[in-house]
Amino acid sequence: MTISNTTGGFWADPDENTVVVATGELAVVVHPQVLVTPALGSCVGVTLWDAFARRGGMAHIMLPSPSDTRLGGLADRFATVAIPRLAEAVTGGLPRRRLVAKLAGGSTMFGGEANITGIGMRNVDAVKQQLSLLRIPVVAEDIGGNYARTMELYLDTGLVVVRSYRYGIKEL
Amino acid sequence: MDPRDLTDMQLDALGEVGSIGAGHAATALSQLLGTPVDIDVPDVRLLPVTEVPAVLGGPENLVGAVYSRLLGDLGGGLLFVLDCEGLLQLSDLLRSREPGTSKSLGSAEEATVTHAAAMLISAYLAAVARLTELSALPGPEQFAFDMLGAILEGVSMQIGLKVDNAILILTRFSTAGTSVDAALFFLPDPDSLDVMLGRLGII
Repeated sequence: MTISNTTGGFWADPDENTVVVATGELAVVVHPQVLVTPALGSCVGVTLWDAFARRGGMAHIMLPSPSDTRLGGLADRFATVAIPRLAEAVTGGLPRRRLVAKLAGGSTMFGGEANITGIGMRNVDAVKQQLSLLRIPVVAEDIGGNYARTMELYLDTGLVVVRSYRYGIKEL
Repeated sequence: MDPRDLTDMQLDALGEVGSIGAGHAATALSQLLGTPVDIDVPDVRLLPVTEVPAVLGGPENLVGAVYSRLLGDLGGGLLFVLDCEGLLQLSDLLRSREPGTSKSLGSAEEATVTHAAAMLISAYLAAVARLTELSALPGPEQFAFDMLGAILEGVSMQIGLKVDNAILILTRFSTAGTSVDAALFFLPDPDSLDVMLGRLGII
């Protein structure tokens, strides 16, 4: 196995329009930019899209709420923090009624005894609860299972592409 | 603690623990297989967990991994990581077959690699336990074959997001004809790492 100091290539073949959302971060962009978050395991990728403005955002959620860990770190890794902030950032204070949400992730990478907490589905539940509080409909999802996913959002059509080694490419 | 604060001598001590563990694992594997197997530790580093995906080819790199939770006096976990090619090569090596015989990853290959990883992990923990006079035991091993980033995330969830630093022990399995490189990560929580370094007499 090669040990290097370089980051490997993404499947998405990043160009200047690709914005990578790392674990626990969120980003908002306008077409023609494309949002990508790699390697979702028990984390949940959430996209919000405004069809009229061709503007959208993506968050990579790690945990349901700040009460799930004592450690400091990025505030946007929590569903209860990131979802309201993401909605606010996409709309810029305007009404949220045009937004639609899509979800991917929430899987279980290690089965058996290592999966007592069921964190993947807890993340999904917390994200859906936050979205329902904001009255943002979830129009598509690819969640659960025991495999990793990479999620992309295209702002012109609102298309979400989910890639995995297990099932290849899925379009949401 | 910041990994960059470690001196060369401290890294040498961590390397020594790795070498002793590898030596025991090699003895055990050689006895099982009836042919000599060497396990060397060409490199040992302490690095932040967040830098691990970059070192191993990016978060989307397809890898096989064996995870074991750390039980006893120390808290944390251990993760054995191998790329696709390495999985097949190690499986061939451990089943005394010509390199290149295994073409795809089946349950036999998975079981062989998991078993080897379990022995390496136990031997490493035995070395840690002996040198630190602490109890360090492996939990049940779990195998996963997927994106590196998601596997690491799964591991950090299991250990409750407490781990900030990883000890990377680059491990080279070799027999007369072939050699395979794998990475063993020792992921103690920050308190356990301090205790361990303290017991080794290097902080």
